[in-house]
Amino acid sequence: MKSMTKYFIVVMAMVVILTIPISCSDQLDINTNPLTASSADPNVVLPFVIVQYSNRKTTEIGLRMMDVWQHISNIFNSPKGGGNAAGGFLSGNFWGMLYPQAIKNLVLVENEAKAKGVTNNNIAAVAITLRALVFYDITACWESAPFTQAMNGAQFPSPEFDDQETILNGIVDLCDEAMALIDAMPATGNALLTGDLIYNGDMTLWRRFANSLKLRVLMMIRNKDTSVDTEIAATLGQPLIETNAHAAMLKYSGTAGNVNAWLQLVTAFGTGSNETTNYCGPSPVIRDLLEGDPRLELWCVDGTNGNYEASDIGIFPNATKARISNNVIRGNLPDAWFLPAEVTLYRAELAAKGVIAGNVNDLYRQGVTLSLQWWGGAIPGAQKTLTPTEISNYVNSLPDITGLTQNEQLQAIGEEQYLQTFWMPIEAWTHVRRTKIPDIQAAPGSTITTMLKRLQWSPTEVSANPNNPIQQLTDVPMWFEN
Amino acid sequence: MSKLLRILCTAAYVLYAVIAYSQGTRISGRVTAADDGSPLPGVNVLLKGTTIGTATDSDGRYALSIPTPGGSLLFSFIGLQTTEAEIGERTVVDVSMISDATQLTEVVVTALGIERQSRELGYAVSGVKSEDLLVARESNILNQLQGKVTGVTITQSSGNLGGSTKILVRGITSLSGRNDPLWVLDGVPINNAHDNTSTQNNRITGNRDFANGASVINPDDVESITVLKGAAATALYGSRAAAGVILVTTKKGKASQGKATVTFNSSLRFDNLFRTPDYQNQYAGGSFFKYDSSFVASSWGERIEGQLVTESLTGNVVPLQAYPDNINDFYRQGKSLINNISFSDGNEKGDYRLSVSSLNQTGILPNAALDRLTASFNAGMKHSEKLKSRFGLQYINTQSQGTGVQGANDPNIFGVTSFVRSTNYNNYKPWIDANGNQLGTAGPTDNNPFWIQHENKNERDDERFLANFETTYNPIQSLSFTARVGYDFDNDNRLITNRVGTRSRATGDFLIDKIKRTQANVDIIGTYFKDLNQEFNLKLLGGFNYNKRHFSSETLFSQNLAVPELFNPANASVNTPTRGFAEQVLLGVFGEASLSYKNWATLSLTARNDWSSTLPVDNRSYFYPSASLAVVLTDALDIKSNVLNYAKLRISGAQVGNDTGPYQLDFQFFPVSQATGQYSLNVNFPFAGRLGFGAANTLPAGSALLPEKTTNYEFGTELQFFNSRIVLDAAYFYSSNTDQIISLTIPPSTGFSARVLNAGEVVTSGVEISLDASVVKTSNFSWNSIVNFSHAESKVERLAPGLDRFLIASEFNNIQVVAVPGKEYQLFGTSYLRDETSGRIIINPQDGLPQAGPLKTFGSVLPDFTMGFINNFSFKGFTLSTTIDWRSGGLISSTTAGTLWSNGNSTETAINREGSYIITAGVLANGDGTFRDNDIPVRTTQTFWQGLTPGGAAESQIFDASFVKFRELGLSYSFPKSLIGNTFVKGIQVGIEARNLALLYSKVPHIDPEATLFGAGADGLGVERNSVPSTRSIGFNLRITL
Repeated sequence: MKSMTKYFIVVMAMVVILTIPISCSDQLDINTNPLTASSADPNVVLPFVIVQYSNRKTTEIGLRMMDVWQHISNIFNSPKGGGNAAGGFLSGNFWGMLYPQAIKNLVLVENEAKAKGVTNNNIAAVAITLRALVFYDITACWESAPFTQAMNGAQFPSPEFDDQETILNGIVDLCDEAMALIDAMPATGNALLTGDLIYNGDMTLWRRFANSLKLRVLMMIRNKDTSVDTEIAATLGQPLIETNAHAAMLKYSGTAGNVNAWLQLVTAFGTGSNETTNYCGPSPVIRDLLEGDPRLELWCVDGTNGNYEASDIGIFPNATKARISNNVIRGNLPDAWFLPAEVTLYRAELAAKGVIAGNVNDLYRQGVTLSLQWWGGAIPGAQKTLTPTEISNYVNSLPDITGLTQNEQLQAIGEEQYLQTFWMPIEAWTHVRRTKIPDIQAAPGSTITTMLKRLQWSPTEVSANPNNPIQQLTDVPMWFEN
Repeated sequence: MSKLLRILCTAAYVLYAVIAYSQGTRISGRVTAADDGSPLPGVNVLLKGTTIGTATDSDGRYALSIPTPGGSLLFSFIGLQTTEAEIGERTVVDVSMISDATQLTEVVVTALGIERQSRELGYAVSGVKSEDLLVARESNILNQLQGKVTGVTITQSSGNLGGSTKILVRGITSLSGRNDPLWVLDGVPINNAHDNTSTQNNRITGNRDFANGASVINPDDVESITVLKGAAATALYGSRAAAGVILVTTKKGKASQGKATVTFNSSLRFDNLFRTPDYQNQYAGGSFFKYDSSFVASSWGERIEGQLVTESLTGNVVPLQAYPDNINDFYRQGKSLINNISFSDGNEKGDYRLSVSSLNQTGILPNAALDRLTASFNAGMKHSEKLKSRFGLQYINTQSQGTGVQGANDPNIFGVTSFVRSTNYNNYKPWIDANGNQLGTAGPTDNNPFWIQHENKNERDDERFLANFETTYNPIQSLSFTARVGYDFDNDNRLITNRVGTRSRATGDFLIDKIKRTQANVDIIGTYFKDLNQEFNLKLLGGFNYNKRHFSSETLFSQNLAVPELFNPANASVNTPTRGFAEQVLLGVFGEASLSYKNWATLSLTARNDWSSTLPVDNRSYFYPSASLAVVLTDALDIKSNVLNYAKLRISGAQVGNDTGPYQLDFQFFPVSQATGQYSLNVNFPFAGRLGFGAANTLPAGSALLPEKTTNYEFGTELQFFNSRIVLDAAYFYSSNTDQIISLTIPPSTGFSARVLNAGEVVTSGVEISLDASVVKTSNFSWNSIVNFSHAESKVERLAPGLDRFLIASEFNNIQVVAVPGKEYQLFGTSYLRDETSGRIIINPQDGLPQAGPLKTFGSVLPDFTMGFINNFSFKGFTLSTTIDWRSGGLISSTTAGTLWSNGNSTETAINREGSYIITAGVLANGDGTFRDNDIPVRTTQTFWQGLTPGGAAESQIFDASFVKFRELGLSYSFPKSLIGNTFVKGIQVGIEARNLALLYSKVPHIDPEATLFGAGADGLGVERNSVPSTRSIGFNLRITL
């Protein structure tokens, strides 16, 4: 019987030894995830923000809404007719990227950079400028949204929604703060900014971008409140994105894993390119505006019907109709955030309105020239180009708008602004709502009576935040539309 | 009852055997049951007035030596009347023992595998026996508990082969989704995880339901299932058992008539669609009365009158016709072949049981199949009077393919909503040409449904090892030590592919998901029994528990395949690997003191302290006690009545702590492999040579996090009437779960989508009643009827300060399941705009349709009560078993029903299709705060049915989810011995078995009201979307015992 006792003791001892080899405390001190980090260098956080922002914006607002402002005739799951598609998944995804993914990480980067002092001003300035860009997107899509109480869950677990005027003015302040940080940078010893996928650490370009973004937002405010004219004039006196070399964009290489989502969409649903699968075609609106314009051939391929006949709104093209060319829908198409033509055409618009001095016709032509230069070869990876002569010939062929009425001038400028924002989703939408040029009508079969004016808020925000205001219908104009 | 007694006696034999004397007169004999003559093992045999004794063996035989001839033998055991037999001159003393109704009681398995008399328990337990689990076997054993156990709600999420089933014990108590009971197999906890595989990592985007972990338990191997419900019952299991415990005890080896037993159990079953939508067959595919052969989902085209049209898919000009049964041109009859063979034997030294089962199923979806092989072996050995040991091993291999995809936003989703009435689905065949190109696609975003099922893989190969070992040492009769070790290993490999040419995944992709889960569990338990005097009996128990759970996953998502159907990462231009890891340890010490008085009053006190690795260091130790009291009134008051022969009252109270998942405390940055986009159009990191890191979207809890706390009370009674012909068991329970550790969905505008914190309280109370009546009992015929009633109300008392709504689960279209203070879990979403005074819908004067109104709660998603009606009839060799399952109350939002309407495929949409609609229930606003009856016509019927969800308002597709189902039917016949003859065959039983025979009552149109989108892994009851239809099964069974 003693042997049995020993047997039991041996078994018990083995159980204990095999399963509890070290102290209880050591057994319990395992609550650190081995696959995550407790801190991260801004140069790995900024790329995440920039690329995630670009790809989500492209896949939600771009390739689900490009037919809202009728750059193209039709697209899958578009909210152009109002209704459910203008909220739900689309809003939830985009909102869910902008706040928790983009802004939060930018605030973390900014706070850490500010804590390190002026040598990290460059990092803080980039983070603040990107935050201003993201809030511009937010107010452009939903009008009012948490701004002053956002990103501070400890103090404001249910952030109040700010009105659009507050947000737009706040964006102006952010741009000013970013520029002030850049101006205060020491001559040497600045932090490395290898995570900057936009300007590769060139802070003079970031300053131009911040100031240009400020101008864009002031133009929105001005649409409602002209008291910002002085500030606009001052902004125009500061460095802006004036040439295509200043363009703010995220470049895609087009190699596997680094492909612009537009081409991914085409290859995911079919074989070949947009020119063969016929998913996207120009709308009649843009087609008409491109009559005689060399950008028509850069952006479109003709169908068998000839004359770049466009498909009606709500209708996908086929081989008989014009389609968006592979020069646009390609893997290495950059995601452009700000182009110089926008600044120049703002100048033309302001000059036409008498806000600033300047030759309206010259500024108008400069704006067209910059846009043609961009699409004609300055844009990375262009498959079709324009020669300087072709550009100048076309610009010179444009009618002189000097002698036109102000409204006629603004119509001409507005149409060019509409073309200038081609394939820049939020900018294009903002433009047509701000200027009403061109006059975009409600899509056939819409449940709303106008062009889509806004998105519905994210269902998650609505559900989780008791401070959300009452949803507006999607054809109610925003504050900035005046 | 004799079977029960045999189990009891076997246990007693092990516990109380004494060494027989080897000298003197040898007396032997056999002890049998008076009611059926079966042998009784483990009966105590004592020479009266001495300590000389023994116990009967497994065949009821005994032998002992007595010093001198003569005297009397006392035969005793619980539940039997003690019998005294004069020895006289005899050397063989056979005894027939009869039941003692006054002592009659069951022995039940309780926490830690400890067998207790049910009369001692101060809390409710419910059980299901082996034979009830074999009435109509299922691939997921959980489904076989439906209707049979009080206090549990079981929901089968869909008809997917190998799909998951959700079980709730006494309703919902946790806001954080920790409502799954702990599964314990032969004393060892096993994982019941429901791991999702999706490229988007959520349950609504292309969810593949690959079952819950406990579904692998083989019904043929189960001796009994016991459900421990209240906290007092589960307290010794510690924090993991806060939502109840399912104790599964497997069959052990035993001899039959002294020989090994071989059983063969075989079933062949046929599965068909349980419920098909009521389709209209008057109108063709198209829109606004215009036939369009390219329409792949909706039937708003012209009236079908035999006119010549271009046929969908073929392009032939044919007379337009309806295909009323085209759903069955796609879905097919599924088949299940279930075979089990087992070998077992045993004697007083040891026992073993070897069982091999194979389950081979083909599903109702084309190409869907599931094959499961289960091999289990267990053996016990009695090394000496003081030492015994036992081990068990199970290996389960499950291979499945063709699992249906649910939810949305995945090219492989195809549901019952899409059957265009004028489409011949046979024209979708063939779906592939010789070059591998997809055929039969009507539009640029549509896939051929046969292509989806045959060319895109949803394969799973799951290997599960369950092992346990225990050894028990009894240094003295009243003291024992048990060491028990268990290990659960799950190696789950999944392959999900989209063949090159699949619309929306045209470049082809594959996802390899390798999931490994392990769980190691050690219990060391000491028990001590002491009769303090003739009246008081004391039982002490103390122990230590170590539990370690490990999860790891390696996922590779490969896109852009050069060679189709070559699933090698080198064949893909984009490869995105990701890893997952989680590990947690729980240490516990526990004790129990149980004091019985005259075997009619038992007071039990338990205490346990846990230390969890997942809580902050300062808060990771937590203590919780329980107390229970059981009083057998009929004994206490000495009631001798044939009317009320047994009455017991029980009362218990307990407090249970609970921890949380790992890595909830610290702020984390995750390396990011992909920047995600709509339609899975993702971009990879490194991007232009740069890595990407992002901060977690969940705000961590920090060091202040406390363990959850559940306080539970329970009162109950068990009454037996007319010599136990009628047994009534009733219980009332109340539990309050506070300091819940929840990942609170917070406004994304805070920068985080969730925050981990202690908050909220859920109070659950309810009543359970079980009535078991032996209605008729004659020598040839018996009718046993059981009615189970369960009502649980899980009310959210409060949430976090300032929070009036908490998201539990979310579907598209603004339908959510939310927690709201003062209510049960609610369906929540956009409502119709209504006149607040009259409650009538305010109609849009532009189009005559409803308008979107404010967000609101629509009502509880939880049932008011469930009832099960089980009837067993036995006539000579025939046995008929039926189960009817009634669930009353709760809401369900069915997107499938809504889509059938908006697609114009269901019968409602054909009513008055060519007429005009005026929503007369609605009103029009006069603009001055008053309203008038609506007189604005809706433009067309199509506009009406497609306009029912303005602004995402899902009000029209929310239904009362109540149902009554004829759940189970088993008819069997056991061949009598006279027919089998004196052969090696001991028994033959043939039968018919059926499941889900009929939906006897439902208010939900078109679908099985039981379907859920979220499966077993979430508490998102009440939401359905594109579920794989459930099945009706009818089959045959043959059982042979050798």
